[in-house]
Amino acid sequence: MAERPEDLNLPNAVITRIIKEALPDGVNVSKEARRAISQAASVFVLYATSCANNFAMKAKRKTLNAGDVLAAMEEMEFERFLEPLRDALEVYKKDQRGRKEVSEQKRRDKERKADSENDKSREEEEEEEEEEQQRMEEEPEEEAEEEEDDN
Amino acid sequence: MAATVEAPVPAEQDSARCGPEEENRGAEVEEKSQQQQQQTGSTGPAVPHSRLSKLPLARIKALMKTDPDVSLASQESVFIIAKATELFVEMIAKDALVYAQQGKRKTLQRKDLDNAIEAIDEFAFLEGKPCSDNTDFSFYLPFIT
Repeated sequence: MAERPEDLNLPNAVITRIIKEALPDGVNVSKEARRAISQAASVFVLYATSCANNFAMKAKRKTLNAGDVLAAMEEMEFERFLEPLRDALEVYKKDQRGRKEVSEQKRRDKERKADSENDKSREEEEEEEEEEQQRMEEEPEEEAEEEEDDN
Repeated sequence: MAATVEAPVPAEQDSARCGPEEENRGAEVEEKSQQQQQQTGSTGPAVPHSRLSKLPLARIKALMKTDPDVSLASQESVFIIAKATELFVEMIAKDALVYAQQGKRKTLQRKDLDNAIEAIDEFAFLEGKPCSDNTDFSFYLPFIT
């Protein structure tokens, strides 16, 4: 389902937090200013995406990658972002690698467990289904009465 | 029979309700799988992630996909855009603060942002001026007014 850009605002709580951390203590931000910043941030995402996508298309790629985004930042005259972004990317990559290993290990453990439990659970399910069918056959009228009472 | 007619109705309502809920849950699930260990008992995309990205990657990705020209985006690219957006918010808040201080105020107001946007070149795209590849973003202006 396609969502229109207007529906996809970034969470207010997060935007507020980023603003507060950027500004010195004692400074407040009006609701209108916060809304405007949030909307500007959404426009920024769209603008950056479009610029990055141009680089991807020039390179005849269908998938946007990190390099495209960095190139877009330069194009948009946000060179000051490049260094902190590259640093953050390094940390992110390491984190993803670490997480991948953990989830793969978990998956392996799960598979081992699942194999032994599969047979047991299938038997239980079949028993439950049989019982339900019996109940339905025996008491259709009672169910109808209950629904009338509720409504 | 009233009973038999009414029986299916609650089921329909449930499925209608499930639709949007499932979408939200889907987004949250996607988000959680991306950031498993960072969310400890969080309730959803509104909770910031202090370690890597404060903004929810699922929401950023959804926003990116509203662009019809964008087919696929790597996880890294979504992350960098999220991070860049964070830096952008910090930057614009600080720049707007200058104008508030000029007006001897301690509260940032909408007009401070307008002033910052007008004065600073990098924020020209928020005014709807076309960027170097002639894409006009004034289409998005309704956001800002």
